[in-house]
Amino acid sequence: MSKPLNDGPVAAKAVEPAETPHWKRDFPIRWEEDHYVTRRELAKFLTLGSGTIAAATVGVALLGDRLRPSGPMPPLRIDGAEGLARGASLLFRYPSEEDPCILVRLENDRLAAYSQVCTHLSCAVVHRPGSRELDCPCHEGHFDCIDGRPNSGPPTRRLPRILLNETLNGTYAVGVEV
Amino acid sequence: METGRQGTTLFTAICLLIALLLIIQLWLISAALDAAMSAQARVAVPASVASLVLFAFNVSLLWYVLDFDRRRRRVDPDA
Repeated sequence: MSKPLNDGPVAAKAVEPAETPHWKRDFPIRWEEDHYVTRRELAKFLTLGSGTIAAATVGVALLGDRLRPSGPMPPLRIDGAEGLARGASLLFRYPSEEDPCILVRLENDRLAAYSQVCTHLSCAVVHRPGSRELDCPCHEGHFDCIDGRPNSGPPTRRLPRILLNETLNGTYAVGVEV
Repeated sequence: METGRQGTTLFTAICLLIALLLIIQLWLISAALDAAMSAQARVAVPASVASLVLFAFNVSLLWYVLDFDRRRRRVDPDA
C-alpha cells in the first residue's frame, strides 16, 4: 500500500524568491544581458589562462637546468676516429644509447663532434663528405661544422657540442656542452 | 550608476587588454623555453618575473570586472 504524499492538509504557501537565482542570472533572455555575461566570463577564463602561462613560465625557469644533462659524464672511446679522413664523418652515441652524435674531421685536421639532434624539431642532422656544414634534411637547417652554430634555416640554437679528449690511446668523448 | 550596457563595453575593452597581455605572456614562455634549452638561465628568470607581473595586472583587471558586477547588482538585484 502506497503512502500518501501528504499526511494531512497542508496550507499551500507561495514562496517568492528574494532575488533572481544565480543559475538564471547566468542565462539571461535579452541579448544585451547575454553579451554582458559572456564578456564577464571570458575575462575570467582569460585571466585563468594568464595564470596558467605564468606558472608554466616559472616552472620552465626553475626546472630548465634539470632538463639538461649535467655533472660528470663517463668517457667513451670513439672507435675509428683516428682513421677518419679530412671532410669525412662518423656516427656514435653519447652519453647514452639514446643520444646520437656525429664526429667530423675538419679541413684543418681537427675533430669536432656534435649532437645529431637538430635544435629545431629534433630531426637527425647529416654531414655530406667534404661539406663544411651539418644539414638537417627535414626543414633545410644548416649548422657550421666548426662551432655548431646555425648558418641558415629555421634553427636558432646551436647544436650541443660533444667535448673530446684526444690521447695516444684514442679519441674519447668526455662531456656535453649545451 | 552602473548599467549593463556600460558593463558590456567596459568588459569588451578589458577582455581585449587581457588577451593582448596573454599574447605577450605566450611570447615570454616561448623565449624562456628557448633560453632554458640553450642553458641561458639569465633569460628565463626575467621572463618568468615579467610573466608574473602581467598575470598580476590581469588579476587586477578581473577584480575590477567583478567589482563592477557587484556594484551593478547592488543597484539592481535582478540584474
